[in-house]
Amino acid sequence: MDPEKKKDLLSIDGLTVHYVTMDGTFQAVRNLSLNLKEGTTLGLVGETGAGKTTIALSIMRLIPNPPGKIMGGEILFHGENLLKKPEAQMRKIRGHEISMIFQDPMTALNPIDTVGDQIREVILIHEKISKSEATVKACEMLEMVGIPRERYKEYPHQFSGGMKQRVVIAMALACTPKLLIADEPTTALDVTIQAQVLEMMNDLKRKTSTSMILITHDLGVVAKMCDNVAVVYAGQVIESGTAEDIFDRVAHPYTKGLFAALPKITGTRGRLATIPGLMPDPSDLPEGCSFHPRCEYCCEECCTGEISMTEITPGHFVRCRRIAELLAGTATKTVHEEGGA
Amino acid sequence: MELLEVRNLKKYFATPSGPLHAVDNVSFVIPQGKTLGVVGESGCGKSTLGRTVIHLLEPTSGSILFEGRDVTNVSKAQLKKLREDMQIIFQDPFSSLNPRMMVSETVAEPLKIAGGMSREEVEKKTKQMLEMVGLASRFANSYPHELDGGRRQRVGIARALALNPKFIVCDEPVSALDVSIQAQVLNLLMDLQRDLNLTYMFITHDLAVVRYISHDIMVMYLGETVETCGADELFEHPLHPYTKALLSAVPVADIHHKEQRIALEGELRSPINPKPGCRFAARCPYAKEICHRDSPEAEEIFPGHMTRCHFVREINGL
Repeated sequence: MDPEKKKDLLSIDGLTVHYVTMDGTFQAVRNLSLNLKEGTTLGLVGETGAGKTTIALSIMRLIPNPPGKIMGGEILFHGENLLKKPEAQMRKIRGHEISMIFQDPMTALNPIDTVGDQIREVILIHEKISKSEATVKACEMLEMVGIPRERYKEYPHQFSGGMKQRVVIAMALACTPKLLIADEPTTALDVTIQAQVLEMMNDLKRKTSTSMILITHDLGVVAKMCDNVAVVYAGQVIESGTAEDIFDRVAHPYTKGLFAALPKITGTRGRLATIPGLMPDPSDLPEGCSFHPRCEYCCEECCTGEISMTEITPGHFVRCRRIAELLAGTATKTVHEEGGA
Repeated sequence: MELLEVRNLKKYFATPSGPLHAVDNVSFVIPQGKTLGVVGESGCGKSTLGRTVIHLLEPTSGSILFEGRDVTNVSKAQLKKLREDMQIIFQDPFSSLNPRMMVSETVAEPLKIAGGMSREEVEKKTKQMLEMVGLASRFANSYPHELDGGRRQRVGIARALALNPKFIVCDEPVSALDVSIQAQVLNLLMDLQRDLNLTYMFITHDLAVVRYISHDIMVMYLGETVETCGADELFEHPLHPYTKALLSAVPVADIHHKEQRIALEGELRSPINPKPGCRFAARCPYAKEICHRDSPEAEEIFPGHMTRCHFVREINGL
C-alpha cells in the first residue's frame, strides 16, 4: 500500500509536559507534534533527557503527577483525544489497544509470579474468556516469542535477560494491540541477543500489523527497524521525515553532529567528531533555538524567538532558522573551540 | 617494550554449584603506549580480567609481569607502590565517586594516600589534573550529584591519572554516556595517551568504540580468549566464528547496509563447571563432534593473529 494513503493511527498535536519541582519547572516536552501512520514504525531518537520517555508516558497517560503535568495539546488515537479520557477508560486501552515495553526487563516483571501467569493476567483483564482459554493463549504467546510452553510455570529469575525481554514482549502483544510503544527495548541486551529480539519484533509486527513507536538512542537500531524517524532535542522534534530523509539527506546541524560523533564499525583508530557542550538544562532552556549554544552555524537570529519547522522536501521537516542557507551551502560557520567542559 | 605481560591467568570463584571459571587461561601482552581492547558480551569475564590484572582481585593462577617484573604475588606494601603505576577508570561515573566528597577531594585522595607531598603540592597537582581532563576550576568544589555523566567521568579520569600511572584499565568508561559526550571522553583518553605515553587496557562491549581506541583487540567468550589481533585486522578479517557472528550482529546506522547476519542460537552458557570442549560449540554453526569433546588450542594463524578454533582453516578457506 502507498504509505501516503495510510491513515493516521496516532497524532500528537502541541503536547506540552512540565515537571514542577522545588528546584523549578522542567519543560520536558514543548509544543510537540507527531504523526504515526497505521502499520508503520516511528523511531523517536534523542539523547538522555531529550524527553523521549515523557512522550511515551504521556500517550499511556502514565506521567507521575505530581510532579509531572500535561499542560496542553492533544493526543488523538483513532481520532479520539486520549488526554480527555477518564481513567477507567484509559485502563481499558492500556495493554489492550496500546501497550508498552520498558527498557529494563529485570524490573518490568513480577519476581514472585510465574511468567505464564503474568502473560495470562493481561489476557484475563482485557478479554472475556475463561481461565483455561487464557492459559492456552498465554502458552501460544510464549511460543510466538520463541520460548517453549513448558517454561510457563517458571519464574523470572530462571530466565536470562534476553528471555525476560521476550516475556515482556509476549505480555505487550498478548491482546494484539494496535500500537506498541517500545522504550529502549534492547538497550540492556548484548548485541547477539539484541539482533535476535529486534528480528523477532519485526516478524511479529508483520504478522499482527501492529504499529510501533520505537524509542532509542541507537541510530543503528533505527536504521534496522523504522519507516519514519523523529529526532528529539530538549523536548522538541528538531527533524523528522522518512528513514531515507534522515539517513541519506540529514539536514539539521544537531542530527548531522550526532551521526558524525557516532563510532562506526567501519571506522579506524583516531579521533571522533564531537558536538561541543552539553544538552541544555530543561529548567533553564536557552532563548531561541535550544541547540544554538552548541551549533557551529549559530548566528544572532538563532538566539531569539520561536523557531518553526520548515518542510524542505515533502514530509521532511527541519527546525532550523538557517536551513535554507545550509541547504544552499552558503551558511558560514561560527567557530567553536573544542574540548573543555 | 612490553609494559604488561599476562600468562595463563586464571580467576575462579567458588560458588555453591562449583567453581565459576570467570577467567580461564588468558594470555596477552600490551606494549608501552598502546591500547589493548577487550571485547565480549556480559558475563564473558572481561571486567574480572581487568580487575585481576591490577590486583583488585587475586588471581587463582598464572602470572602477571609489569615492566618485566613478576607482580603476581605482592605484599601489601609492594601493592601500594604498584597502585601508583596501575590505575582503573570505572564504568559508572556515579557509583564510583564518593557522593560526600567534593571533586577536588576525590582527585586529591590518591595523592594523600601515596604520601610524600605537602598540602600545597597536593592542591597544585589537583588543580593541574582538573585542567588536564578539561574540567573548569569552578567545579573543584562541586559534589558528584551536581555534575552530568560526562563531567563525572572526567573526575574519574583525573583521579586515575593523579599519581602519574603508566597503565590504566578502562572498564567500559563511556558506556553510560550519550553519543555526543562519549566522543568527547574517547578523544580525551586518546589525547592523554599521546601526551603521557599511557598504556590502556580498554574493556567494552561496544565494537564500534573499541575500533577507534585500540591498537590490538582481544575477543573473549565465557572466560576464554577466542581471538586476538590488530584492530583493523579483526574487523576486516575475523577468523573465529564467534567474532564473525558478533561483528555481524552490530546494528549499522545506514539504511542501505546489506545485513549478512550470522544468526546465533541460544545464549551464553553458565561458566560454572564448564564442560570440556570448545565453549562456543553449543552456539556455533560449524560445530562438529570434536568441538564438543576437545578444547581447541590457541594458534597463531597469521603473524600476530591468534585464534582458538578446531576448524579455523576450513571455515576461512585457508
